[in-house]
Amino acid sequence: MSVSVLKSNGLPFQLRGLGARLYSTRKGEVSSSDPQKDIIRRHLYPPNIRNKASPTGTWRPDVARALQRAIPSVQAHETIERAWLLHQRHLRKKRDAELQRKFNCMRQAMQELEEIDSRLFREANKQEDPRARSLAEVEAMKSMSEPEKRAVESRVRGLFPRELRIPTDTPPKNGWPNEWRAFQRPLA
Amino acid sequence: MLALRRVQPWALGFAQRSATKQVALASTAVDTDGSHSQSSDEPVAPQKHQSRAIRTRRPRISLQHPREWNRPLAFGVLPAFDEALKVIKEDSMALKDEVTALEGAIAREKETPQHDQHALRVMEDKLRILEVQSEINFPQVRWKCANGMGKQVPDWTPSADMSKAVDRHLLEQRWRKEGALDLLMERIHQMKVVPDVLPDIHPSLDLRVNFPKIKSNAGLQATVSKTVYEYVEPGVFLLPEQTVEPPKIYTTVFHPEERLYTLLMIDPVTDFPDETNKTFQTYLHWLQPNIPLSSVSPSPVPNLNTHTAYIPPHPQRGTNYHRYTILLLPQHSRLSIHMVAKDKRTCFDVRAFMEKHGLDKNVGGGVHMWREVWSEGVPAVYKEILKTAEPKFGRMPKADRYGDFRGKKRYV
Repeated sequence: MSVSVLKSNGLPFQLRGLGARLYSTRKGEVSSSDPQKDIIRRHLYPPNIRNKASPTGTWRPDVARALQRAIPSVQAHETIERAWLLHQRHLRKKRDAELQRKFNCMRQAMQELEEIDSRLFREANKQEDPRARSLAEVEAMKSMSEPEKRAVESRVRGLFPRELRIPTDTPPKNGWPNEWRAFQRPLA
Repeated sequence: MLALRRVQPWALGFAQRSATKQVALASTAVDTDGSHSQSSDEPVAPQKHQSRAIRTRRPRISLQHPREWNRPLAFGVLPAFDEALKVIKEDSMALKDEVTALEGAIAREKETPQHDQHALRVMEDKLRILEVQSEINFPQVRWKCANGMGKQVPDWTPSADMSKAVDRHLLEQRWRKEGALDLLMERIHQMKVVPDVLPDIHPSLDLRVNFPKIKSNAGLQATVSKTVYEYVEPGVFLLPEQTVEPPKIYTTVFHPEERLYTLLMIDPVTDFPDETNKTFQTYLHWLQPNIPLSSVSPSPVPNLNTHTAYIPPHPQRGTNYHRYTILLLPQHSRLSIHMVAKDKRTCFDVRAFMEKHGLDKNVGGGVHMWREVWSEGVPAVYKEILKTAEPKFGRMPKADRYGDFRGKKRYV
């Protein structure tokens, strides 16, 4: 909710009761002229008006009214909360069901593959090491510069593409890199 | 942290917060359940800069002051609320279709000659859950169950329709989560009723006991005041004058089918003195087996004094406070229990009784307890009902160590 709902009178906590303690000043004497006198006065006669929240938040009498303005009906709030959680549950169930369906399809496919061709089945079951380098790559890397080698090693299949540009609000300072070409990783 | 004095927790607070400036401008249909007749209850006087005081007391809605549910906000005031109602309605309709489909499946399964019992039970559990879920999100259903249960009402009859699964579920959640069961269990354990009477108790139904209020002597002697039965908080002290007549027992049971229960009222071991054995014994005050209870059974429970008659509590003079416990134990089938004679009531063993008749404490049941101490009403109980002399207990007189030397001259 907006900050104005819990607005104080703007002054720091210690100076809030300043208006009420002008009894200790003479007529015509403005209290903010001498800060030293202010400090002495404040410590001799501390503010005892208890109508604002305490500084550390141990007592907050203004919260009830603020909440009443923010949430006009508890029943409506609870209903909205329940409806939102219900909606999220539907989404979650849908995603889980879809994932389960895909998994079952995959499992069914693998079962059929096992029956049809056992060699292909074994190949399909092999775990892929994403950092593995094929022979062709290793040969190509021997003739590469250091930055190119680092580029090859960091490009792992399945990882986030390094060249992906994050969309920005404004175009780049140095203009559009028209000469840029994607780095071609030699594949097996 | 929150300076909301005497305000119910947020979940209970269906007190309609009436018009703030924005709401008043946006709609004319301000809350209709509870603002107008309660204007005299406003505890905070409206200040200069605020439009209206915060109502911190719950509106007095109960069976005596019934109220219809109305939308808390009119259409268009809070679009999120209208969308929420749409979502809930769609979900409820989808679930109701599922319920009808499952009911059909269960009926078909039952018709087959050899039906799988386990699968049938699983389907029936799922049906119960679906029935509850299809209705539990509606604000009118939740409002109905949350109101009509005010503590000021002496008989606590809920306005919820107990034949509906969702109302039963909501009332059970309230009983378990919002403090009533916790208070009972706290008192049961702190007063050590649990290890003394039974090794453990896990209540499955809400048992409430009402005894008459103490009639004040300051009232007019000419008027005959009707005895008002007041709710007894577990663990509080009552006077023997209040407990001369049997109490009114109110139960909220959460199963729709009828089951049989046994009512036991005892003064547990360590409370009733047994002079011959120089120890304490359990005294049986009341026994009523085969009480049929279901969620739609009448409240208060009728016909409780037909088996072993109620003998009012009579804490002896000189003993500490007595804890009187009422147990409502579930039975598997109809039991035939002999009436316990008056002289046989002192040597009652709860554990043996339960084992003999197959009463299992782990299945659930209800429990309640209060305390009493000797007062001027106890001699009347002894004279009129027990018809024995009233015992008076005290400590054994101490032997006087210096009896030989008293009175004699010491320095001769």
